[in-house]
Amino acid sequence: MLRGKRILSTYFYLFLLVIYLPLLFLLAFSFNNSLSAGFPWRGFTLRWWEAFFSDPVAPTTVKNSFVVAVAVAVVATLMGLGLAFVLVRREFRGKNVLLSSLLVPIAIPFLLIGTSLFLLLQRTFHLERSLLNLAFAHILVALPYSSLVLMARLIGFDRSLEEAAQDLGATGFTTFRKITFPLIRPGIFVSMFLTFIISLEDAAIASFLAGSDPTVPFFVYGRLRRFEGLPLVMALSSFMVLIALAFTCFFLISAIRAKSE
Amino acid sequence: MKPNGKKLELKEDTTIRERVLNIFRKMKKLGYYWRLFPAVFWLVVFLALPLSVMFIYSLWTKVGYDMIPTWTLQNYLDIFVRKEGLYLRLLLKSLGMSAAVTLGSIALAYPVAYYISTRGGKYKYVLLALIMTPYLVSWVILILGWRMIIGHNGLVNILLMGVGLEPVKLWKTWMAVILVLIISWAPWLVLPIFVSLEKIDRTLLEAGADLGASPSENFRKITLPLSVPGLLVATFFVMIPTFGEFVAPVIAGGASGATIGTAIEEAFKRMNYPFGSAMSFLLVGIALITSFVLIRKTGLRTLMESL
Repeated sequence: MLRGKRILSTYFYLFLLVIYLPLLFLLAFSFNNSLSAGFPWRGFTLRWWEAFFSDPVAPTTVKNSFVVAVAVAVVATLMGLGLAFVLVRREFRGKNVLLSSLLVPIAIPFLLIGTSLFLLLQRTFHLERSLLNLAFAHILVALPYSSLVLMARLIGFDRSLEEAAQDLGATGFTTFRKITFPLIRPGIFVSMFLTFIISLEDAAIASFLAGSDPTVPFFVYGRLRRFEGLPLVMALSSFMVLIALAFTCFFLISAIRAKSE
Repeated sequence: MKPNGKKLELKEDTTIRERVLNIFRKMKKLGYYWRLFPAVFWLVVFLALPLSVMFIYSLWTKVGYDMIPTWTLQNYLDIFVRKEGLYLRLLLKSLGMSAAVTLGSIALAYPVAYYISTRGGKYKYVLLALIMTPYLVSWVILILGWRMIIGHNGLVNILLMGVGLEPVKLWKTWMAVILVLIISWAPWLVLPIFVSLEKIDRTLLEAGADLGASPSENFRKITLPLSVPGLLVATFFVMIPTFGEFVAPVIAGGASGATIGTAIEEAFKRMNYPFGSAMSFLLVGIALITSFVLIRKTGLRTLMESL
């Protein structure tokens, strides 16, 4: 019994170590004074970080990724809100059809969203590859996540609170602002976070729709594929890792502070 | 007559008002539905339309750098016969990869979710956040990190040589693809499995223990069956994207990493859109059927709550 418990906790810490190992290696070896990305260690240097910051493309990929991700998070969450309200609170013909087609973007691999939108936007409408096209596609794949999260929140929602507010003379908008919104706010945060991550993570759709203005995963994929400038890619990757770590620290500190208050 | 007439007029007056009010109410009721418009528009223009366009192109034929509308099923037939069934083999390889990655990553994630759920105490959410962090950035970004671990000059080989063993070729092999995918997916699956474990009523376990069940019996007969919904959601989350995976096979697999995903990407790179579309569309069909079965089994409610 006790042995089983010890094995489980050992496994847990081993798992943590394994998933953090590539991060630690990236961070450490981005300071390695060697042209080959990785072993052996040839001394400390800042030149890859300098190369990264002075590169004409690499720093803009970070900006591109974040701009697209923020836009996707906001738009997909707003659309998801609309869908969730109607799907949870109304019965209408075609509801099941809508629900099932809503799931289709996550029921097929991202690659296929990429190929089909490429054929429509680039081959049929002859639009240029751009971040805007990419944002369109990311909003599509984010929509199922945002609406499902918000629907879950709305299903457990006590509607008598809204009715009470309206009986007391609140207008529709005031009711939403004072009652509905605060109650679904956690759902909105989760939805924004999820959709943001989905957009930030994606390399598959981006490789079909983003053009000369790449996002980070697409840029890294291209460099890795052609096997060029890898030390710079390590600095860029490490930069993203640092952002992720900073985000988690911030999240943990605010969570702990919220608990202690 | 006169008072009567007046009464009649009044009555008519109210019915007209009633009617106008009714129409107004109906419009207000219908007005609620404008909320659907943006999402429905998106689903039509960016999902239904492109998939239809892709289906149409899959029936065309590539001639030189152009496509001509031939309306033939040859492209679909080609998947099975061209290059002695190479594409069929790649498709099966992809499905196999999906199954292996799903099983592997669930097997890695389950004990982690179980540990957090049963032993996390008040640190449950801190531990979950720690697990998720590495993948806030795309795992594509972490792949160079993996290369330093299982690559040619990587940590594993350095350790092997350190103890006097021969170095092994891990990078640019099929093993590397599966390994990288399994470890990349596992942290994402901790959450849905954790959610389903949290929902299990603890009193059931106490009742089991009172009736003389050992902890392992309790786990096998109560915890595991009740966490099946979480496992199905996890399966849905990994299996479907992995069907079309091409980034990891290209980077970590090299020449031995060909899958249906890389074949589709290749076809699009070479501007063979009709054949690429046919392969894509076949994969759409397979993925939709698999998803349908999985979502049917889990139910929409469970899927919602696992996010």
